[in-house]
Amino acid sequence: MGTTVGVTRTSIIDEGGIRDAVFRALDLVGFEPSEAVETVVIKPNLRFYWDYSTGETTDPRVVASVIDYVRERWNARARIAVVEADASAMRTRHAFPMLHYDRLASEKGVELVNLSDGEVCEKEVTVGRHKFTFPLPRMLFDANLFINCPKFKVGPYASGNALHITCSLKNLFGCISKPRKIGWHPQINQVIVGLNKLIRPHLNVVDGIVALGQRPVRLGLVVAGCDPVAVDSVVARMMRYRPSSVQQIRLAEKEGVGSAHNISVVGENVKAISKLFPSRSPLAFKLAWTGQLWMLRLYAKLSGDAVPPLLD
Amino acid sequence: MSIKVGIIGFGKMGKLHLRVSRYMKDAKAVAVADPSRRALRAAKKEGIGDLYDDYRELLHRADVDAVIITLPNFMHLEGTLAAVEAGKHVFVEKPLAMTSADCERIDDATRRQGVKLMVGHNYRFFDATRKLKATYDSGAIGDVVLSTLELVHGPLAPSLESQPVPEWYFDREKMGMWLLDLGYHVVDLFRWLFGEAEVVYARLDNHYGFPYEDNAIVVLQSRAGPKGVLHAGYFAKLVFPAFDFRVILHGTAGCLSTDQLVPRNLRLHAAKEGIANMLRRITGRRIKPFSYTYFYSSYVEEQRHFFDCLRNGGEPAVGAEDAFGTIRLIEDVYRYCDRVPSTAVRVS
Repeated sequence: MGTTVGVTRTSIIDEGGIRDAVFRALDLVGFEPSEAVETVVIKPNLRFYWDYSTGETTDPRVVASVIDYVRERWNARARIAVVEADASAMRTRHAFPMLHYDRLASEKGVELVNLSDGEVCEKEVTVGRHKFTFPLPRMLFDANLFINCPKFKVGPYASGNALHITCSLKNLFGCISKPRKIGWHPQINQVIVGLNKLIRPHLNVVDGIVALGQRPVRLGLVVAGCDPVAVDSVVARMMRYRPSSVQQIRLAEKEGVGSAHNISVVGENVKAISKLFPSRSPLAFKLAWTGQLWMLRLYAKLSGDAVPPLLD
Repeated sequence: MSIKVGIIGFGKMGKLHLRVSRYMKDAKAVAVADPSRRALRAAKKEGIGDLYDDYRELLHRADVDAVIITLPNFMHLEGTLAAVEAGKHVFVEKPLAMTSADCERIDDATRRQGVKLMVGHNYRFFDATRKLKATYDSGAIGDVVLSTLELVHGPLAPSLESQPVPEWYFDREKMGMWLLDLGYHVVDLFRWLFGEAEVVYARLDNHYGFPYEDNAIVVLQSRAGPKGVLHAGYFAKLVFPAFDFRVILHGTAGCLSTDQLVPRNLRLHAAKEGIANMLRRITGRRIKPFSYTYFYSSYVEEQRHFFDCLRNGGEPAVGAEDAFGTIRLIEDVYRYCDRVPSTAVRVS
């Protein structure tokens, strides 16, 4: 039998509805920790300074529900840290208060940790012919339980690659402690898989309360599972992508991170959800993006006109 | 003879003003000052040879006639006063200073030194707002009784080149709170259209956890009669060329909105303007810089006006006294919020 992925929805998008959806999804997965849960790390996805209603950032209410689940089911006194690293354009010390994670921390009595500030260890990994060394926070490897809380969204455009999806596998990119991660963009898929070979979340709880495709959409959805490849495969199908067409899923499976096959989806119907999702063609997105910039640069060169610094 | 220009502060706005200045007749940017090495490298890449890490050195240059000040908000006062005292004509980005009292200091110094000063109120130079004002002034929509002015942006609009947002944006003392930054434009446009005004109501609030307000509703009553509801916010994920700005005038003889005057499809507008500029180039005429962006052509217009004033001895459209009026009205909003805490939430 394959891995289980739990899919739940709530029609009432408030604290109670979200908590109920998260609890049901985790119950469907039936994960039980193999050791005592004393220290827990939860990694949401914070993107720039855009809040959860844009579909870019993990809803703090989803993280709050995961915290409640850990405390109610495994250890009421577990030490829990919600973590994120600085990014090229985002500073975690500003993102936490702006995106209301500081309120979450004070309400739930958890710690907020900037992964760019703590103790770092260099980890080497090989993906195919590519060898990488990543500066990674030690605390990720010391925790008893690591819960990945990504967003349900289409991928960004990064150095020539329009990623199909940004979900469990991609969220670990935000664990690299170095703020300027843009240097890894040209090999983004290999980098994502390399990180997933080094860091193994025990659980993945995907926030699809507001999902992001061509535009944000309120799905009230939660997807959970232990295997990030299986979870991302189910999410890809909900976005109307073939999992095998998503390079990071294909590569992750090949590298033994998890399996995109023999998945037992329990709860909501994948096909029904896929009809609600405003899908986006990565190829069309990439062509539109590169096409516009290419035309702009060509125009500027031929006409002698200038380009605003914002579009450099 | 060409006007020699120095640019003080070379962040995003400094770079923009440098690029705009290249299209100014008889004006040439010759030097850039910024304490950041990265900024100076960027200026060098833009073709500027004379670089200074201290703007005072730039101000000592006798051959520099005018400066464009694009320092962070909290440094406008010291930078502008230093430039004025050095006898330079000044174009300074808004806000002129953090308080109306500081604007008065700058105004006094400018008059004493006999130099020209213009503040960058670029929303007055939009094609749409100029047409709107001209139509209103012509009497075509009668007397305006009610108006709506809306501007929503942010938060902290990212550029394609991933760079952290400057730290001073998050510092209330240095940014000067939000109404003094982007919200400034709608307050200023109301004054520009209808003259001096009083605050009838204000509510400042915070969607994001900023150390200052990020959304505001302000109701103004002009002494001339028209009332205005101003909506301003810094909370929307808008990526260029998305643009959430409008002014609606409800008059006794008609209604006019900038939405009727701004191109409906900005991408189509860019294509049309791009083709027109290519044809201008081929036929040896001057191109209209930044016209394809719609938004950025306002910077071209305001700089052109400034340099025209320097050449022809005219008075800049937005001087220190005008900026003083806008900042004093913003201070009135904050004072209202302090006075009426039950109806106006001021972010602590």
